[in-house]
Amino acid sequence: MSALKETAAKLLEVARDSGADDAIVEVMDSTTSQIRYSSGRIDASNWWNEKHAVVFVAVGNRTLSSDIKDMDHAKELTGELVLMAKASPPNKGYGGIAEGRFKYSRSRLDRSIVALRDPSRPVHEAINAAQSHGAIDVGGTLFVRHEKVALASTGGPSAEDENASVDLSVRAFSQKEASGHAVSCTPRLAALKAKETGARAGELANMAKDPIPGDEGKFDLVLEPLFLGGITHSLAHMMSALRVEIGLSVFAKKIGKQVASKEVTFVDDPMISSTSRRAFDHEGMPTRRNTIIKDGVLKTYVHNTSTAKRFKTKSTANAGPLVPTLFAMATQPMPFHPVIEPGDWHTDEIVEETKRGLYLNNTWYTRYQNYATGDFSTIPRDAILMIENGEIVGPAKNIRVSDNVLNMLKSVDAVSKQSQEVYWWDEAAPPSTLPVIRVKGMTITRSS
Amino acid sequence: MIHEDVAEIVLGLAMEKASPVLAEVRVESSSRRELAVKSGQVSSLTSSKDAGMNVRIVLPTGIGFAAANRVSTSEGADLVRRALKLAKSGKRKDRVEMSSEPAVKTSWEVRQRKPLADLSTEDRLKFLADIDSSVMKSGVKVQGRYYELSDYETTSYFANSEGSRIKSFLPRVVLNASLLVSSKGETEQSLREYGASGGWEKAEEWNLEKALTDEVKMLKKMIDHGKALKPGKYDLVCGPEVAGIAAHESCGHPMEGDRILGREMSQAGKSFVQPDMLGQRIGSEYATVIDDPTVSGSYGYYAYDAEGVRARPRYLYKNGILNEFLHNRETASRLGLHSNGSSRSERYVREPIVRMANTFVAPGDFEEDEIFGSVKEGVLMKSFTEWNIDDKRYNQKYVSREAYFIKDGELAGPARKCVLEITTPGFWGAIDATSKKVEYDSAECGKGDPIQAAPVFTGGPMLRLRGVNLK
Repeated sequence: MSALKETAAKLLEVARDSGADDAIVEVMDSTTSQIRYSSGRIDASNWWNEKHAVVFVAVGNRTLSSDIKDMDHAKELTGELVLMAKASPPNKGYGGIAEGRFKYSRSRLDRSIVALRDPSRPVHEAINAAQSHGAIDVGGTLFVRHEKVALASTGGPSAEDENASVDLSVRAFSQKEASGHAVSCTPRLAALKAKETGARAGELANMAKDPIPGDEGKFDLVLEPLFLGGITHSLAHMMSALRVEIGLSVFAKKIGKQVASKEVTFVDDPMISSTSRRAFDHEGMPTRRNTIIKDGVLKTYVHNTSTAKRFKTKSTANAGPLVPTLFAMATQPMPFHPVIEPGDWHTDEIVEETKRGLYLNNTWYTRYQNYATGDFSTIPRDAILMIENGEIVGPAKNIRVSDNVLNMLKSVDAVSKQSQEVYWWDEAAPPSTLPVIRVKGMTITRSS
Repeated sequence: MIHEDVAEIVLGLAMEKASPVLAEVRVESSSRRELAVKSGQVSSLTSSKDAGMNVRIVLPTGIGFAAANRVSTSEGADLVRRALKLAKSGKRKDRVEMSSEPAVKTSWEVRQRKPLADLSTEDRLKFLADIDSSVMKSGVKVQGRYYELSDYETTSYFANSEGSRIKSFLPRVVLNASLLVSSKGETEQSLREYGASGGWEKAEEWNLEKALTDEVKMLKKMIDHGKALKPGKYDLVCGPEVAGIAAHESCGHPMEGDRILGREMSQAGKSFVQPDMLGQRIGSEYATVIDDPTVSGSYGYYAYDAEGVRARPRYLYKNGILNEFLHNRETASRLGLHSNGSSRSERYVREPIVRMANTFVAPGDFEEDEIFGSVKEGVLMKSFTEWNIDDKRYNQKYVSREAYFIKDGELAGPARKCVLEITTPGFWGAIDATSKKVEYDSAECGKGDPIQAAPVFTGGPMLRLRGVNLK
């Protein structure tokens, strides 16, 4: 038994002995190395490690959770947590935790990532490649992540996993207002494409040179995976049953209904090799591939045990962190690795068969007027390329997509064969594997 | 309990191992409690304690930062070793420098009349239940009701190689509410945040039973009676909430030194502002925007920043002129200036970067009725919902949550979903009046990588903009 698993088991024993009816202990040891660079040079090299235990306890339906960072006193703090839970108000919506003993599909850890001592080489490779493709200013980040996790639960699950990944983000400028952005994210060091990523960012920046103010009106949009990752961020949140319950989802009351065009099949697949692969959810249920939208029809929300009980269904093994995280609520079920299934188009064909459109590299600041209706806008950034009669005719700037997200999903009419894993900042997050898509007739607006 | 002795030993190790441009050690501990209530029932409850330390070493070749959630001399020694190695690995050809700042030995704290730690879970639950009950009795159908109440105290000890020693204690309380109102088959949504530094007395001052009941009644009014605006040119009166978001997004952010110098280029972006643009006009004489960490009781309050520099008000736009950037010691040094105390870090495991604190439009000398009085045909945009701005901070959009038509100087009924899509100089250049009273809102500002949420106030008085396009 690993030391982490042993710690989880001991803390679970403390919780049980202290009177918890249900308890989950998740012990994590995560290390991150990061290089931040801009203007072609390294700005800062950062490293941090956190060893901590997230403990959830329930006494009847009185629930309480804690992120215990002081591991020297984790046993005492776990005991205190149960005492506090006994005195806590009831959580009437609590529906229990995952029960059973499960087998898990562990990931294949790439030890070369864990052993990486100087991650600056791919950074310099990316910078050089971007510059050789026309960039005059290059910036971004390289992350090297390594996490060990062990989980023990009174429901039966006992699990451990270890993952490592690298992700590189490159933004290149060829002029003050001409930029391109590309990323490479992978759990295999050998698959990190530093040069290609830098080259792609530089190439896009070069194509974006001398942009003119974009026009308002209806356009067909060809969206790169990075752009789509920004939209997927909000879609993933809205697929959470908890978000549905509190009015923060456009998918409420739409199970079995057409929410996207037939071209769109949206799954959560934490099983595939990716930077967000995980063997079990935060209740210890083995993760699985869940089809959320099939041929445009909404099949399910993502659930943990409690939301599943409230929705009279079964958990989809998407239990989220048991304590709140930045921008996510405690116990919010979440997709771990969204995937839009590939279609049968070549990316080039999508552009060639677009009459009046825009090819969009990236976006940010996706904001909703009302999550229940899906009215939103998002601001394309980096290369915005105008398409006329199947050809890219030049770059544009200063535009905004102002439309409705259900309309966007229902207007997808082409999906590429090729997909790419994208993960960038808090915009294209969680990590997702996405194709290039075309969306017909979206509204473009701009400042006046 | 903060281990000052550990910080001193670890700083000593950092200075022994190298001759750094600068070495810093921060030891931090915090307690945090969170209660979420969904439709009147407890949804989740958490109680956590955190403690850890970081070491930042600046060498001519680079900046190295290492952090861990453990506090001991052996852990500190490991962090020193790592930070030093990382600083060397930067291999910068241009020498990294930090602005020269006076060494400070002090301690500061935000006092609590009603300490957050003394509050029971029952008290917190009653607070949220009473709000929810009031919202439920409003006569408005509120389909989605979700409230999160968080409070936390952070104790910190900062020591640097130049002799600064700063101890601090900062309690904060924040409430987030998500409300979805339906009427006549339509919905409107409100996501509100209330935050402050201080004790529980701050939460009591918010008067949320009334504020959120008024909010849902307002949303129903917008659904039932709000009329669409005919797109065109109008005079626009922005309420303090809209003034505040504009101050934050199209003044505070573009005036951040690190963004101007490119360090955030891959994430939060660059800025339309260039280093040599100080002194240039961006708006009318009424466009004065201040960022001030020292606003008493504010959500973005601090007395000394994360690099030990004393906080002070910064006049970012002054009478329409680009006046002062937000700087930490690194960006100030690159422009040959001194830091103005803008360095913040979410918690000890994150590097300190340039941040806003409380950003607001300065008040003017107009009474509120004078602001409306001369508007023949216009709109009052009291609050906003959807908003965004491009990454150079030049093109922004604000969609009204609460708005009213103005006819001949009088409010003339609700206007629904008015859209202002405007450039930064377009916004600040159109202001011809500001009212006397500043009001603040709370928000979490996101920046850095990994993203760091910084508690801030946004605010301002009422602003009158002449002849802007609305949709």
